[in-house]
Amino acid sequence: MSKPSFVYVTYIRSTPASVWRALTDPEVTRHYWNHRNVSDWTVGAAWDHQRCDGSQISDITGTIVESVPPKHLVITWALPSEAADPQKVSRVTFDIEPHKEDSVRLTVTHDHLQPGSAMERGITQGWPLVLSALKSWLETSRALPL
Amino acid sequence: MNDKPKFVYVVYIASTPEKVWQALTDADMTEQYWFGFRVSAGGKVGSPFTAKSPGGKDFDKGVVLESDPPRRLSYSWHPQYDDVRHERPSRVTFDLAPFKDQVRLTIVHDDFDHGSKVFASISRGWPAVLSSLKSFLETGRALEPSWSDEDRKRVADAEARA
Repeated sequence: MSKPSFVYVTYIRSTPASVWRALTDPEVTRHYWNHRNVSDWTVGAAWDHQRCDGSQISDITGTIVESVPPKHLVITWALPSEAADPQKVSRVTFDIEPHKEDSVRLTVTHDHLQPGSAMERGITQGWPLVLSALKSWLETSRALPL
Repeated sequence: MNDKPKFVYVVYIASTPEKVWQALTDADMTEQYWFGFRVSAGGKVGSPFTAKSPGGKDFDKGVVLESDPPRRLSYSWHPQYDDVRHERPSRVTFDLAPFKDQVRLTIVHDDFDHGSKVFASISRGWPAVLSSLKSFLETGRALEPSWSDEDRKRVADAEARA
């Protein structure tokens, strides 16, 4: 049985380098995602999705599977409490392609999800919100409230 | 697998439901972000939905199925270009809900038969149109069209019709 995947495509008036940075620089992610995405983004390294309230608590954690700046990033994704259970580790792929002269097509594919899981429901609601906020941040420098 | 093809997309826009509604139904608005297409869908239930190509030719036609401004809009969708005209009409439904100074816009495009070519086409098209809509409402500038070669041919064919 193939596990379900979630795919979301958005077009952003920006550059691949700016989109890459907006996904991987904690000083940018904190503006539109309410979290700092912390890693050195090299294959095999850990990444953490840390709260910005000073606690540095990670709400999501994983490892870097592929990293080809500014085009292609694959990471694993799990709740810290479930990260040791391979069944509960999902995978997120970001594909960043130039589009026309001044835009980027960003495709986010989240797969290896457990059917009917809380994580599947959560990311299905969450990605449109986060990626809408990312687009607004890059195009207007205004963050949308999550 | 018995699930029929269904496209679902959600986008959050820093705007009001009234403005998003107008942008979805008023041809003078759609022309600015829907890559030159004039889309009219603002009438009562039973009135026509039309999408005209930049050259003024019928591209998609249908009928307004539900209209509850500025919350819910549904219309049937029947492409008029030659290679898919034989497919029966599908259905587009928009739901607009206020969300923290934004609008959560949900589009569901369903009621396709298995193997629909229209389904493949709209699955590429809606993210581009709705990304452009968001940019247009938030920044005043729409995005460039994102036609595939197939789309481009369909528009050219529609424009070439008498």
